[in-house]
Amino acid sequence: MIEVEALAKQYGTFTAVRSLTFSVRPGEVLGLVGPNGAGKTSTLRCLAGIIPMSSGRVRIAGHDLSSEPVAAKRSLAFFPDEPRLFEYLTVRQHLAFVARIYGVAGHEALAAPLLEELELSEKADVLPAELSRGMKQKLVIACGLLHSPSVMFFDEPLTGLDPLGIRRMKDSIVRRARNGAAIVLSSHLLHLLEEVCTNVLILKKGEKVADGTLAEVSAQFSNGEPDVSLEEIFIRATGGSES
Amino acid sequence: MIGTLLYLRLTSLRNLVIQRIRRLRQPKYLIGTAVAVGYFYFFLVRRSGAMGPSSAMAANAAAGAGSVAAAFVCSGACLVALIRIAYAWIAPAEKPGLRFSEAEIAFLFPAPITRKALIHFRLLSSQLAILFTSALIAVFFNRSSYLGGSRVIQAVGWWVILSTFDLHLNGTNLTLSRLRERSSHFRLWRLAAVAAIVLYAGAVIESAMGRVNLYLSGAGGARVEPAVFLRQLMASPAFHWLTLPLRIVLAPYFATGFREFAVAIVPALLFMALHYLWVCNTEAHFEEGSIALAEKRAAVRAAALRGEAPKIGNARPAARSGPFPLAERGPPEVAFLWKNLLSMRSSLFSRRALVVVLVLTVWAASFLGPLLSRHSRSPGGDAYGVIIVTASCFIAAYTVLLGPQVARQDLRGDLANADILKTYPLEGWRLALGEMLAPTAILTLVLWLTIAAAVTATDPAGQIEWLTPGVRLTIGLCLACAAPLLCLTQLIVPNTIMVLFPGWYQTARTRTGGIEVFGQRLIFGILQLFFALLAAVPAGGWAALFIFASHPLLGAGPSVVLGTLVVLFILGAEAAVGLWWLGERFERFDLSTESR
Repeated sequence: MIEVEALAKQYGTFTAVRSLTFSVRPGEVLGLVGPNGAGKTSTLRCLAGIIPMSSGRVRIAGHDLSSEPVAAKRSLAFFPDEPRLFEYLTVRQHLAFVARIYGVAGHEALAAPLLEELELSEKADVLPAELSRGMKQKLVIACGLLHSPSVMFFDEPLTGLDPLGIRRMKDSIVRRARNGAAIVLSSHLLHLLEEVCTNVLILKKGEKVADGTLAEVSAQFSNGEPDVSLEEIFIRATGGSES
Repeated sequence: MIGTLLYLRLTSLRNLVIQRIRRLRQPKYLIGTAVAVGYFYFFLVRRSGAMGPSSAMAANAAAGAGSVAAAFVCSGACLVALIRIAYAWIAPAEKPGLRFSEAEIAFLFPAPITRKALIHFRLLSSQLAILFTSALIAVFFNRSSYLGGSRVIQAVGWWVILSTFDLHLNGTNLTLSRLRERSSHFRLWRLAAVAAIVLYAGAVIESAMGRVNLYLSGAGGARVEPAVFLRQLMASPAFHWLTLPLRIVLAPYFATGFREFAVAIVPALLFMALHYLWVCNTEAHFEEGSIALAEKRAAVRAAALRGEAPKIGNARPAARSGPFPLAERGPPEVAFLWKNLLSMRSSLFSRRALVVVLVLTVWAASFLGPLLSRHSRSPGGDAYGVIIVTASCFIAAYTVLLGPQVARQDLRGDLANADILKTYPLEGWRLALGEMLAPTAILTLVLWLTIAAAVTATDPAGQIEWLTPGVRLTIGLCLACAAPLLCLTQLIVPNTIMVLFPGWYQTARTRTGGIEVFGQRLIFGILQLFFALLAAVPAGGWAALFIFASHPLLGAGPSVVLGTLVVLFILGAEAAVGLWWLGERFERFDLSTESR
């Protein structure tokens, strides 16, 4: 579902991501972790087609992101850490707008349960200025889920959510993966990754340090010790320092 | 304590200057500074230096004209000041306060500093800005050549005017705050204050009108020199006493020599001292209002840095229904048009407004024509038509050249959402086109109105033989057809600039000052003008050639249609190439690289 081959991203002379290769199959949730500046956000933005990659190849739902960007983007959704909304569109109008862009027929019927699930039904006719940060984040999620994407990229998805919202978000991610979505999730919250992810990819200075299922990565860095936490694995894998 | 606060201000100022100088190492700031310095030198400094009168007669004429100009400027400035003060009373903030930054509030409000010291800090902060502004005005706007007086006198004069005004506004805010806290008749107090201001302004105007009418009619003998008239006006008792407070403040600025200045500055400083005592002794809680004000300013600055459109006024946005029902299926570009029309804060472009505009247009077409026709048959009557046509042409030119800088409901308005836009399953050109549809529609509407007015007002009596009603209608319709494409091509320019030089664009659109930012805005303006000509000249040239060549064969109407088809073809091709290129660039656009 997500196939990445030798992905690289450079900003001038600075290399943010180098030769990254991995894949995420339907039903898998890949946790993207790494210290600050490791290249997580650059990777996600390249995968979502927001910024062009410097080299490499990305296929989303069978479509090459470089040569068939429109077809590829039709299958994906990107959830940024900072909710960016259109200031003068109400919650309902946001959904109507996104539905038209993605060509979602009968969007009102689809939107209603989404709004209900995300506790936005009562706020359907208000502007973003009247929403809390968590509510805004939920609206971004509703907009992203409206076209039933099969590929999802989450950049720090729990930022700004209350404990109940966090629980629902985690459940939602797991449920959508079970329903066949391929998900990449970037977060510093390692307990979230332990709960939600099936696979982990650890980045450092733009390079892959480890990749595999939680058990595989754990085995790689546990040095034979039992019950080593992901936090400990992360520290060992990254050398305990920032990039 | 004041020494500490002064240290904070001066250290911040020094660091700001150092930072501004250091960033000149970046080409965008260096070039911006160079352009701005060049502009100020060639258009202000050099011009003001070269404006000295060459003879005694010219000097007298300049002095006369200068007196009148000064009188007008003074009247205008006093009127603006009165309106500003009246506005403070009419629409006070919910919690009137003094202007502090968020950092100042965070550090100073909890600190062991007296309330009076905080007010002094506030006054001191504004003094630095006022001193700088006064010096700048005196350097760039030299009025010595026609009103006399040195630049030092001018600078001090400006300092007195601006400082007194600043103190007055602070005093008003504190008084409002105090009244809100302690009086149950807050509305009545405000009403009384506004009534007093209006009565005062009315009395001043009334006291002057008698003499002004006498002067304009030339009654009572030969018309006197403007300067003499102004002296006579000042000498009339009612006007003299009514304008005394204003004249006390303005007198140092208008002093023509140091002796006159010395006489004028004493009452002005006393007047300022009275204001100072008013501000310092008005016991009011300004803290909450100051916090609200600081938060609002910080939000505006943050919004500008995020790339959001600047907000006008205090009103919170309200949810509204869309400009038209958005169907679930259809071209996605229409969704952008729908969204961007909806995002317009002003109800100027609402459905109701469109209906009003349409009704007005129909009214103008059906009534204005016969009216102008009647006028044009009277001697000199076609002057109305000339005025309307000239005004329409000016408005149309401004719409084409400056409109794209004003109507920003496109990619520029959605800069903050660029990441989300790029995840949409759309080709770049479609996204760019969709985003630009709303401003295109707005500018086109304005152009259509100017075309309707100009076509109606041109030769209503039918004195130009070939300009039959049919030809007139054809020209109007042809221009109307070309208008959307012309607007679209013009809008591609600022959007392309934004995509190509996001760093420049971000800097120029923030509300931060600085000569380099002024220079950058100047460069954008010049680029807009250049590309406007580049787009319009080939289309206009070829169209003129076709009309000229086909006119003898086809006649006026058909040749204009042929010329319009040429214009549409060329503008269409330009717009298509521009959109395709802009779309390609937008797909590669990454704002985050600019902040690295």
